[in-house]
Amino acid sequence: MPIVVAGISHKTSSVTIRECFAFKEAEIPDVLHHMTDTGLANEAVILSTCNRVEVYIYTENESICPQEQLRNFLIENRQYELDLDSEIYTHGDPDSVEHLFKVASGLDSLVLGETEILGQIKKAYDIALQAKFTGGKLNKAFQKAFNTAKFIRTETNIQRGSISVGSVGVELAEKIFSSLNDRNVMVIGAGDTSEKTARALLSRGAKSIMVSNRSFDRAEALAKELSGRAVKFDSWADEFANIDIMISSTSAPHYVIDRERLEPMMKSRRNRPLLLIDLAVPRDIEPEVNYMDNVYVYNMDDLQAIAQDYLEQRKSEIERCESIIRERAKGLFSPPPSRPRRDGKKGFESGLGGEPVT
Amino acid sequence: MSIGDKTQFIIAVLLYGVSLVYSVFLWRKGFRKDNHINYFIILSGCIFHTISLMQRGFSLNRCPVHNLYEAVSFVGWTISATFLVIGLLPRLRFVGVFASPILFCSGIFALALGINEKPGVDHDFTMPLVSPHAALVMLAYGAYGLSAIAGGMFLTQEHDLKFHKARAILSLLPPMQKLEVLISRLMLIGQILMTAGMALTPFLMLERYEKIFVPDLKTVWALLVWAMYAGLYFAHWKFAISGRRLAWGTVLSFAFVMLTFWGVNLLSGIHTPQ
Repeated sequence: MPIVVAGISHKTSSVTIRECFAFKEAEIPDVLHHMTDTGLANEAVILSTCNRVEVYIYTENESICPQEQLRNFLIENRQYELDLDSEIYTHGDPDSVEHLFKVASGLDSLVLGETEILGQIKKAYDIALQAKFTGGKLNKAFQKAFNTAKFIRTETNIQRGSISVGSVGVELAEKIFSSLNDRNVMVIGAGDTSEKTARALLSRGAKSIMVSNRSFDRAEALAKELSGRAVKFDSWADEFANIDIMISSTSAPHYVIDRERLEPMMKSRRNRPLLLIDLAVPRDIEPEVNYMDNVYVYNMDDLQAIAQDYLEQRKSEIERCESIIRERAKGLFSPPPSRPRRDGKKGFESGLGGEPVT
Repeated sequence: MSIGDKTQFIIAVLLYGVSLVYSVFLWRKGFRKDNHINYFIILSGCIFHTISLMQRGFSLNRCPVHNLYEAVSFVGWTISATFLVIGLLPRLRFVGVFASPILFCSGIFALALGINEKPGVDHDFTMPLVSPHAALVMLAYGAYGLSAIAGGMFLTQEHDLKFHKARAILSLLPPMQKLEVLISRLMLIGQILMTAGMALTPFLMLERYEKIFVPDLKTVWALLVWAMYAGLYFAHWKFAISGRRLAWGTVLSFAFVMLTFWGVNLLSGIHTPQ
């Protein structure tokens, strides 16, 4: 049963490549439509986050090599012209389902065991479901993935010690600032991860939060939730002198902060240290900024490198989780094991939802 | 059988050397675990160092800071003793890793300077103000040295953070802002001690030469060092020179002090009478 996935992630490619492959939320239904129209897929879901871009399809067309087709589609659709080697991975059954379960459980995440990805998969699935691009196969696979992720979260220690992009950001801040109590935080772009990072900083005592977003209403809503203050997107720079930590996750196609703009601002804040956390893909902060004195820039890839160290420490737990995933993926579409009926004859037990599989 | 002060000092230097070797391992491990071993090695070295200075001080009946060997040894002792106090705080225990190279090198340097030294012969005890003057100035150098050590820690931490190394988070080094405060405070303490020590200079000059100021290379050099640190502190306070620049400033300033101290001292007619 060909469920196929093709994609790139933080593990296989740099942010420079990932940003070329990212899908905007608004364009996903059109791309899904194109995939089904051309016969590439019967069902499809596109997951596009800052750490990964993955296309899951179910196809009944056995005359083609779906993995190769999907890989080529991804490159052509994103109009990527440079050479790619192992950046794009593809998986067919049963690896594709196992991969989905791993991603949903946070085992393939930048920060091991994080739960943000589950919400992002749910959202990606919901977009495809609403637009009617999912059917029996992908519905079943994704529902089972959510169920498995929940099981792993509650039954294993994969989240013990709670590591997330937010907490890595907080730990970085604690290495730079003597205390977080007097720190002012600015969030540019009201994204999910940036909100969580801001919350983590607040929980450690950050003094105030300012939120700036292209949509001022959204900025106000988030600022209200965080007991902070909304700032108009055009005037966030006016507040810069008072900021210690900035979390940026806008969808701007260009740099929001570059060295030329930041240098005079740093003088106005008397060279106090500044932590810039760039959660956006494409990046919001010019990499050159990291070469400035007293400025520390961390993008998604940098956080990944730090998270890698934690990964080593949790290896044994990963093995246990993977074992659970293998078991559950194996039982998803394969015929359920037969068990003796009371009358002594062999029969089938439903693997999922009581549906008999023939 | 009693052990001479120099033998005690040699043992201290050897222990500082052991600390230096052990520090390399701690460095490579990324300062991850709170480590008491290095602290106790430096503590052992400091005990021998203290006994050495006390023996010499009691035998001379003066603070032992009257020739190059004693001066360098005293600066090393100041650094070592201060580390033992601040190293009680877990976050500052790794200061020892950065202090041990300075302690070992200054120890070897002092021993080299003291090869031909004859205790009691090279000393001038006719003026009572010499001891407090020398002691204050040596303590100032010790504070400058500690400031440079904090600067070294800052640069290490900054390098790890700039290059996004995981050990920046996992290490037990203090936060950057705390290190910057430590650098500036130690520099200020050094400056106060240096100012107090140098304030005694005119009285010493009057006593010996009946003039407030006599041109002398070491005196001019000391004024230069004072001005260098005053300039650095002023730039930090007034023009917000901070972070990496301040850290490099303290490291390079102390390197200048260490590298030129002995040469200037030997060429000084007042400090090394022919």
